Amino acid sequence: MSLSLARRHFLSLSSLGLARVALADLLEPRQPHFPAKAKSIIYLFMEGGPSQLDLYQHKPKLTAMDGQLTPPSLLAGKKFAFMERMAAPKLYGTKREFRQHGQSGHWFSSLLPRLAGQADDLAFIHSMKTVNVNHSPAMIAAHTGAMAPGRPSLGAWLLYGLGAETKDLPAFVAMSSGPRGPRNGNDIWGSGFLPTHYQGVPFLNAKSPIFHLQSPAGVTRERQQRAVEAIADLNRERLAETGDEEIATRIASYEMAFRMQASAPDLMDLSGESQATLALYGATPGKPGFATNCLLARRLVERGVRCVQVYHTDWDHHNGIEGRLDQMCPEVDRASAALLADLKQRGLLDQTLVVWGGEFGRTPMAEGAAKSAGRNHLIDGYSVWLAGGGVRAGASVGATDELGFQSVKDPVNVHDLHATILHQFGFDHKRLTYRVQGRDFRLTDVEGDPVRALLG
Amino acid sequence: MAALAALPCAGQEMGAASFEAEIRPLLVRHCQGCHNETNRSSGLSLASRAALAAGGNRGPGFDWIVKAVKHEDGLKMPPGRQLPPDDVAKLERWVAAGGLWPKLGPESGPESGPASGSAGRASAKRRNHWTFQTPVRPNEPNPANARWARTAIDRFVLARLEKEQLPPSPEAGKLTLLRRVHLDHTGLPPTPAEIDHFLNDPAPDAYEKAVDRLLASPHYGERQARHWLDQARYADSDGGSRDEPRHIWKYREWVIEALNRDLPFDRFVIEQLAGDLLPGATPEQMIATGFHRNSLLQIEAGTDREQYRVEAVADRVDATGTTLLGLSTGCARCHDHKYDPISQKEYYQLFAFFNNLDEYGPELPPFSATNDLNVTHAPLLALGPPADVAKWQALQAQLLALYQERFAYRGGESDELPKGDAGEKIRTETINALKKQLPTNLTFAMVMRERRQPRPAHVLLGGDYLRKGIAVEPGVPAAFPPAAGTVRNRLDLARWITSEKNPLFARVAVNRQWQRFFGTGLVETENDFGTQGAAPSHPELLDWLATEFIRLGWSQKQLQRLIVTSAAYRQEARQRADLAQRDPNNRLLGRQTRLRLDAEIVRDNALAASGLLQAKLGGPSVYPPQPEGVMETGQVKQLWRTSQGEDRYRRGLYTFHYRITPNPSMKVFDGANGLTPCTRRPRTNTPLQSLTLLNDPNFHEMAQALARRVAAAADPLAEAYRLTAGRLPTARERERLRRLHAVERDAFATKPEEAEALAGKGAGPELAAWTTVARVLLNTDEFITRE
Repeated sequence: MSLSLARRHFLSLSSLGLARVALADLLEPRQPHFPAKAKSIIYLFMEGGPSQLDLYQHKPKLTAMDGQLTPPSLLAGKKFAFMERMAAPKLYGTKREFRQHGQSGHWFSSLLPRLAGQADDLAFIHSMKTVNVNHSPAMIAAHTGAMAPGRPSLGAWLLYGLGAETKDLPAFVAMSSGPRGPRNGNDIWGSGFLPTHYQGVPFLNAKSPIFHLQSPAGVTRERQQRAVEAIADLNRERLAETGDEEIATRIASYEMAFRMQASAPDLMDLSGESQATLALYGATPGKPGFATNCLLARRLVERGVRCVQVYHTDWDHHNGIEGRLDQMCPEVDRASAALLADLKQRGLLDQTLVVWGGEFGRTPMAEGAAKSAGRNHLIDGYSVWLAGGGVRAGASVGATDELGFQSVKDPVNVHDLHATILHQFGFDHKRLTYRVQGRDFRLTDVEGDPVRALLG
Repeated sequence: MAALAALPCAGQEMGAASFEAEIRPLLVRHCQGCHNETNRSSGLSLASRAALAAGGNRGPGFDWIVKAVKHEDGLKMPPGRQLPPDDVAKLERWVAAGGLWPKLGPESGPESGPASGSAGRASAKRRNHWTFQTPVRPNEPNPANARWARTAIDRFVLARLEKEQLPPSPEAGKLTLLRRVHLDHTGLPPTPAEIDHFLNDPAPDAYEKAVDRLLASPHYGERQARHWLDQARYADSDGGSRDEPRHIWKYREWVIEALNRDLPFDRFVIEQLAGDLLPGATPEQMIATGFHRNSLLQIEAGTDREQYRVEAVADRVDATGTTLLGLSTGCARCHDHKYDPISQKEYYQLFAFFNNLDEYGPELPPFSATNDLNVTHAPLLALGPPADVAKWQALQAQLLALYQERFAYRGGESDELPKGDAGEKIRTETINALKKQLPTNLTFAMVMRERRQPRPAHVLLGGDYLRKGIAVEPGVPAAFPPAAGTVRNRLDLARWITSEKNPLFARVAVNRQWQRFFGTGLVETENDFGTQGAAPSHPELLDWLATEFIRLGWSQKQLQRLIVTSAAYRQEARQRADLAQRDPNNRLLGRQTRLRLDAEIVRDNALAASGLLQAKLGGPSVYPPQPEGVMETGQVKQLWRTSQGEDRYRRGLYTFHYRITPNPSMKVFDGANGLTPCTRRPRTNTPLQSLTLLNDPNFHEMAQALARRVAAAADPLAEAYRLTAGRLPTARERERLRRLHAVERDAFATKPEEAEALAGKGAGPELAAWTTVARVLLNTDEFITRE
């Protein structure tokens, strides 16, 4: 076939499907089941398991019984991590002062004064339950609904359902701060059996946040542009020769990559942020950390990024919990509250769902010696809050017993939380499915109910 | 009514009449739909009192039925709803009263316990699904245009096309064909010398000769191994949150070598499933069992190791089903499979085959202070000079004793060592001293080894490792043809799976071979041959190939030779307007398909084109340069010691694969993650791929080398095209790149420092300009595509 013949051939093909590709929207959305409230999600993930008993759950009875041996009836049949250390544990009341705040009357400890100031923007679940007492499976469950690795993460499902709104940044981003990377790393923002372009992209705390973003030495912006143009021309030749529409997508991919090389450093460049904003978050340009990540999360959703996972990996307080909370809460409190305030003042909070919580919570019993006591993992009654994204501000769902051992009112499991999140994005969690090996899989497997009291 | 009289409560509040009036309707309405003699959901039938009393997977039925309807102990029956409190109360009273079940007539069903085998369990419809019937060799069709056909394959393909009145496509050009078959067989492009040789060979079978040369190439095994390693969920690390490295590369080497010597496929599978159980097993056959040591291992502090041992066994059942039978068995882990004829009990009978292995070192605390690779990943096979192996084994035994002493001393698992304790101090010193004596010249391989003390297997209720149901013995699902003899251990299982009578084994295997050469299998759902799977596009061809594979003595090389010498394979890939409209996904095979290269092959081709490729075969995994920060995306920052020398330039399949922090260049091109068996890679097309080819220092180094390789040639561009695309440039391509070269050369002439930065020390404008051209060629769609 001569080139001109192939050209005509190619033109005839465009009416058959190339137009679809030419949109360059590489992530085609599905039809939502009902109108969406939220467009983006920022999940502030407190990895390790923050102590709900020292932050959000007021338990005067536990304080009153501080130091007493735990009634064996409360421990019967329960599984804990490090079982051997839990032979005869003593109850451990909080050392923090608790007060109610705002119209909502949400309880906060003195560790979180700024979040307390925004009490009425938050909706709490105080009866969260998860499936396993160890970090790794609980992390995987919190992200994918399953304990074993290999299933798609919440963010991947959201992209699968909604597609992307940004053409020059990845639509699903994961950032981390703390003494280590998040447990199970790439698996918890993975795409599982969904196509791999739905997976999250790890963002580094650096000028060049994406792997291989920076051009090699000697490749100036103009030189890169000349290269990308030449690649596009050669690819067009091949497209005409073969009629393979994948080549049109490839051309679009290179255009997006070239734009991303400018837009990602632009995103990371905080010099345009006002002093007031930087102060609000407690962020210092060039200094990586949770505060910077929260600010970047706002900048990402501002640019249409669908899903931002922000990990803080320092919440596993088996010992020395008091000192460690003192050390880390100011930063987390300030930046989390700043993110809410900032989103709100920019009119973004309504369409951005913010979630704050860990893979589980911590026990009412002490672990370790009294003077450097910590708390073990608790999976039967921890707290998570949501804000924005159409969630009913000020709501409070569920409760644990008076000692904080387990959920006694309106228990909510990870599937219910996932169903609630999908609902805010316009999806019935039972109908957002993907067929693999003959079965329609969903994020919530065979369980889950949206928490009605939270739906605005 | 004699039996009735024997019951103490007979005639009291629950007489025959009330059973018939109150209980039987309830059972019929709410329970017997699933719990009948045919379906026996969860092994339980409620067709008779005896059946209820005998119970199912959970144990005797009378212990459970009330809890089930009261939604206690994690039971929720009937599924998705709850009986009205009245009905629950009636049932409870009935059970409390002794569960009187008067025989009134034949409709009460036979008074039998659960069937001893699984016969009759799967519904006839599921059992009769085509995939469960042993393939029968079909007659070859006689298409009208028989001259087109080169092989039997073509007669099937053509007959189907003729039915749709679609002509096949013409044969691809010689150079396209040569590059295609090179990439498919060895994953490496033809060298300029090979191109010339092929073009100058006037023999009518020049192509067949090229195919035979490729099948004999040692690089054949490397390319084909990667396909298999995807299914074997191969990775160099544990995959748990700590993601420790593991000793498994010898298994990869075994796969490469076995494929190179064309070990018959049935044998290939038997050695991997049960090489350790073969009489007089050789070290190589032991190494082959690494296949099922590719399960994930979780060594997080504070975990219950039994849970992860059970997960690993479940992983082996799933991988066996998905990889060898094209069936998802995982559904049956918690309940009877909804679609395919595998009951929950049968799942645990498969589970029993793999239940007799140890995941962790022999009864050792698995982490931290004792987290020594050599003892964590037992059983390990040590390979090296016999005297050193013996020394290693003796030292291991001493170490083991010390670890166990420490374990007993601490009274349990802990990730913290007691400090300042004299005994522990001595123990630690001894351990460290012994470790220093360990021979350093040994190689290790994770292998399977049966425990001396068999571990009994049970149905696990709801898949929960803590809730044991009835005990089960190893056994195979009833929907399949029965085994020739008893099936007691993994070796029996392997022989049963690879039997010629097994309806799925050969079909699944040939379908996945087909997929390598056409992009999609004859059965599109290559991982699901169950009742929910897609129907084959060419059912007779599939069965013909399955029987032919057996006839060829399970030779993968001969099967592949048959496929690539077919006229169907040799067609050009160019899209046609008629096909685009009537068969957009090319299921009828009226043309070939362009396929983006797999992640490793993208790297291999750039290495080959640049001349940097180190052709060394096998050996441990290597660490090519990768960006800072990759190893920080997981909990534990594992080591990445960037390779120096030749190991920098090895083929992609040798790049060390951490499951949790994978190499980003492999990941963006859809490299298999190693978490679960991957039977077909997606082929995405994303900006991150573009960034990788443009900016990854590995690819940039290759572009520099390619430029140096061609710059001095009489016609650098022609040489570069031969190396990257296996052809000469067209006039338009030549003109486009001449322009780029001129612009770049002029730009570099004014900024010589940029030329050196881009193309290396001492580079002038000319070489730097060729480097930019080389970059462009390594980024074209054609370069990363098999056409």
